[in-house]
Amino acid sequence: MPKQKAMLIDIKKCIGCGTCETACKQLHGFNTELEPTLSDTAFTVIESRGDKFVRKVCMHCNDPACASACPVGAIKKTALGPVVYDADKCIGCRYCMLACPYQVPRYQWSELAPFVKKCDLCSERVKAGNQPACTEACPVQASIFGDRDELIADAWNRIRSDSSYVPRIYGVQEAGGGSVLFVSDVEFEKLGFKPVPTGNQPLPTLTAAAMGDSPKVVIMGGTILSALYWITQRRREVALAEAEEKAAVNRIKGERS
Amino acid sequence: MTARIKSQITLWRVIVAIIFVTGLYATYVRFFEGFRASTNLSDQMPWGLWVGLGTLCGIGLSAAGFGISAAVYLLGMERYRPILRAAILISFLGYCTVMVGYLYEIGLPWRFWHPIVMWNSRSVLFDVCVCIMTYFTVLTFEFAPAVIEKLPWTGLREKILRYHHRILIGMVLAGVLLSSMHQSFLGGLYLIAEGKVHPLWYSPYMHAIFYMSAIPAGLALTVMAVYLSMRSLNVRVDFSILADCGRMIEMLLIVFVFFRVLDLVGNHALHYAFQLTPEAGYFWLEVAMFMVFPIALLSLERVRTNPEGLYWTCALVVAGFIVNRLNVSINALQTAMGTHYVPKWTELASSVLVIAAGVMAFRYAVIYLDILPKAKSTPPTRWIANSGLAAQA
Repeated sequence: MPKQKAMLIDIKKCIGCGTCETACKQLHGFNTELEPTLSDTAFTVIESRGDKFVRKVCMHCNDPACASACPVGAIKKTALGPVVYDADKCIGCRYCMLACPYQVPRYQWSELAPFVKKCDLCSERVKAGNQPACTEACPVQASIFGDRDELIADAWNRIRSDSSYVPRIYGVQEAGGGSVLFVSDVEFEKLGFKPVPTGNQPLPTLTAAAMGDSPKVVIMGGTILSALYWITQRRREVALAEAEEKAAVNRIKGERS
Repeated sequence: MTARIKSQITLWRVIVAIIFVTGLYATYVRFFEGFRASTNLSDQMPWGLWVGLGTLCGIGLSAAGFGISAAVYLLGMERYRPILRAAILISFLGYCTVMVGYLYEIGLPWRFWHPIVMWNSRSVLFDVCVCIMTYFTVLTFEFAPAVIEKLPWTGLREKILRYHHRILIGMVLAGVLLSSMHQSFLGGLYLIAEGKVHPLWYSPYMHAIFYMSAIPAGLALTVMAVYLSMRSLNVRVDFSILADCGRMIEMLLIVFVFFRVLDLVGNHALHYAFQLTPEAGYFWLEVAMFMVFPIALLSLERVRTNPEGLYWTCALVVAGFIVNRLNVSINALQTAMGTHYVPKWTELASSVLVIAAGVMAFRYAVIYLDILPKAKSTPPTRWIANSGLAAQA
């Protein structure tokens, strides 16, 4: 079992230069003009919040809502950390986009054969033992890549040694945690990090309960319906038999009189 | 000659022609120019009118098929047998429209078969796909006798119908369970979108609420279809059956309202209804059209036993149901997704085309098959006789 990798983004260190965005676009062969929001040609963007710069990127959840939602299993969490998308399976239903609590997946609305687009944490490069293009390009090490455990330890060290940091690592537990971690010197809520509706529970638990109930409901419903059918059939038979008996009695009566 | 052609041009035929021309053009735009040209969908609103109206309403309004077949076959309510086939036909055609709509909705329609071979059992949408496919098979089976009995080969026909009859009850039972599953799972689709769906609609029991609202709406559509068939297709059904359906719809709606309110109170969401937000407006529209007015009207003996009154009340139920589903799938999402979505005309035109095709198929099926009891048995000799084309030929 390989160790899970992760990316740590330090909002205090980020200078908002956009090198990570450009590196990402260059790697994917997109037009390198920077975009204001995530799009099908911008898998990461830097948003300014006050005097802070917040990188927006796929959170690579440990139990991703998108992967649980996909009807054909085109999205998978890999053991190394990246949440990857298999374009050969995708049918373009866009349920992943509805499911993602961070509104990350984007769609190629202008294409005639559109696919879902999102960051894959440079899965191929990571598999080969390298780091993603964005962390490699970052000039101030605001985004770094490494083993998830070590990065969490590193983040706690930063928080402990510098009291200006908020004592929280965003992404360790939120929605079950993931492979992208944030530390910051400003409250996360003030930086536009919306609270995940399920808190620290992975989103797929929301559907698991309803779906787990369905076998019970089917078995119970099936039994009740079968029983009702048996009762109505039995009633019909009894009514028929009684009617025949009555007819027979009447016939005998008729013969006698 | 021109006068004869002119007499063939009625208002409804003009409307149908407009629906087909605009719908076919919208279809062309969808498949040859893509989503950007044919929809107002965006990354913030990935599902729009096609899902809200086409799928959610299409499946929901087809709920009468399993409802009435359960009533007649399993519960022995023989009284409803005259409208059984009509209900099954509506469901069958409803599912047909949903499956055609599915090709519009997904970005890569030539991969429509992927869910059959690529499984993800954790996905609600996968479950919905599988249930719809299997239930459509059941519906085809339940509807098949109406076509098979028209076969000219007596021996073959009787043999098929005999075997059909043997496994019918099992199929009906499976059908009831399958449709109960996916009727509710359509609501279950939105369970994962907590925080995006407005609290007036989001609930951990959304799937149950969807199930309870679909049955009265499906019944209402059946009543409408039977009434219209009686008015214009020479069908005669004892009206008291429809009036009883009205009673049933009323009771089902009361049950639905009870649980809907209970759910809102349980989720501490009721106060959202009294805020000055667009969502509260949409909510009260739904309350008026799908709950208060239909229940009030159906509780009046005078309305229920008046064909015209019952028909329009059922129309209100169907419209209210559509408002409910569009609220869940579009209006409840807009604030959280930070967007404002109004469907493009091409989205509406293609949806209306598919629905209109379903309605026309229903009409011809009622005319040429034994779906509903006919007033007098004088079937037209050629199918063309009723289409208005004969006059032109």
